Amino acid sequence: MTATAVRTAVVEARGLSKSFGGFRAVHDVSFELHEHEITGLVGSNGAGKTTLLNLIYGRNSITDGRLLLDGTDVTRQPAFRRVRRGLGMVFQHTTIFPTMGVRENLRLGALRKHPGADPSSPDEIEAMLERVGLAEQGDVEAATLSHGEQQWLEIGMVLLAKPTVVLLDEPTSGMTKAEAARMADLCRTLIEQQAVRSMMVVEHNIDFIRHISNHVLVMHRGTIIAAGTIDEVQHDQAVRDAFLGRQA
Amino acid sequence: MARSTRVRIAELVLLAALIVAPLVVHDAFTIDRFGRYLLYAVFAISVDLIWGVGGVLTFGHAAFFGAGGYLAAIFMERGGWFLPLPLWPAIALAVACVAMFAVLLSGLAFRGPFPMRGVELAVITLAVAYLLEQYARAGGRLTGGQNGILIGPRLTVFGINVHRGRNFYLLAAATLIVCYVVARWFVSSRAGLVVRGIRDNEPRVDLLGYHVPNMKIAVFVLSATLAALAGALFYVHEGIITPGAVGVAASTQVLLWVALGGRATLIGPIVGTIVLQHLTATLSGRLLDTWILVIGALLIVVVMLFPAGVLGWLDRGPSR
Ligand SMILES: Nc1ncnc2c1ncn2[C@@H]1O[C@H](COP(=O)(O)OP(=O)(O)O)[C@@H](O)[C@H]1O
Ligand SMILES: [Mg+2]
Repeated sequence: MTATAVRTAVVEARGLSKSFGGFRAVHDVSFELHEHEITGLVGSNGAGKTTLLNLIYGRNSITDGRLLLDGTDVTRQPAFRRVRRGLGMVFQHTTIFPTMGVRENLRLGALRKHPGADPSSPDEIEAMLERVGLAEQGDVEAATLSHGEQQWLEIGMVLLAKPTVVLLDEPTSGMTKAEAARMADLCRTLIEQQAVRSMMVVEHNIDFIRHISNHVLVMHRGTIIAAGTIDEVQHDQAVRDAFLGRQA
Repeated sequence: MARSTRVRIAELVLLAALIVAPLVVHDAFTIDRFGRYLLYAVFAISVDLIWGVGGVLTFGHAAFFGAGGYLAAIFMERGGWFLPLPLWPAIALAVACVAMFAVLLSGLAFRGPFPMRGVELAVITLAVAYLLEQYARAGGRLTGGQNGILIGPRLTVFGINVHRGRNFYLLAAATLIVCYVVARWFVSSRAGLVVRGIRDNEPRVDLLGYHVPNMKIAVFVLSATLAALAGALFYVHEGIITPGAVGVAASTQVLLWVALGGRATLIGPIVGTIVLQHLTATLSGRLLDTWILVIGALLIVVVMLFPAGVLGWLDRGPSR
């Protein structure tokens, strides 16, 4: 609690739990996402990482616990209200608008969502086309883009909504090494230029995490078993037990 | 950009040709019939807005087209309180009432305790049309039951009789043009972009921070309002309205026009309506029976080969 006085918590999870029927996919998870920081979330398949993100952005209802966004309790708020408070969600399986043009996709990210919101300008849309490497494809139907290009399109769309916190679920899945490096650059730039205040990145690829973040959470069977720098958690006994125990 | 401008211009030329051709080619009697097709075309546009653009399938849209007609008829033909009303106030009030009804219905469907989507909504719209038809049949003095309502007042604009022939046709054409422009404006507006987004990927629209239910209500109400306007004019011109007007059969027929013409194109449903209505009216006897089979077969072919409809296919190519 003393740490929050120094570093502002943009997202604060207190004892989050999610049960599907009798199965606890996420159990008593607490953490904070801080300003100017990228938090990595690692763990094996089925650990509950995606479910945890679902709880944060509001796709799954929270069974137990509380979630605060900038100090406001959003535990019972629907997804679109959390988004309006600054959450941005980038999915593992890209979700774009396939029959619409690339530029139209970005416009949907940019437009004003509610009175008083701050929309992105047409110039910002053009700059984003450039930034995500789709400047040449502004008018093509989004469905015709390659999988990797669709991932970039989704990220561009989400960023044009001007989120304060961005959650990314395995952003480099299916990307080449070069593309993953570009993604790491983008993440770092967003934080360094303070375009977004905080990020959480779920990733399998520990090298990718190493490039963008010095703070990771390790998830195992629905709970967070370790938190710290990558080196710290790699030497953590609980993490070793969990993963060696699993692989054996 | 350049391409979409060219498509838009081609559409306007086509629309102009469709509207002018009957005036040049035909006698007053046939022109009058074409006027009815143009009002049907407005009905088709309204269905294209909710189904083609919004992705919400409805099996009951004649409820709005027919209710526009029924309410206009009731306001003009029934007495008591502030009734009967003159022609245009009656039509305006009828359209306003249908719009209010659409707000309530879509509010309940999209924002109620059990928000509906897909097939559920299709079933609800079907039920509404069915219930209205039954009510119109059983409605006694108000709806005239099975016999419906005879509508005495004739269509006039600033004292000019526009009830028949060329004048009626011009009234219908003006209505179609205005409704087409309104629908086109909506589709290219921000709200239209969001509604198209909902059709493509509803969860994503939600997760960009838009209020999805309110956007659906907006397109639903706009659609119902256009349908009611067309229906009011249509049945005043007919001079009679009967329970079938609000029924399920009338609601499915319009889906055919839209599907064959091309969903989400706005212009396609206009073409589909006029062509199908004209052919159906021209053919008769055994040829008509064959024709109905041909339409059925055509629909199957179009749905399988050109899911975007004929004009949609010309617009975007087959690999949609
Ligand atoms: N909607 C759901 N219903 C039932 N079980 C689910 C649901 N979503 C996830 N789960 C289960 O929760 C566990 C965690 O899944 P997930 O969060 O996707 O893991 P990860 O993203 O870490 O691979 C898995 O066992 C999965 O089967
Ligand atoms: Mg996952």
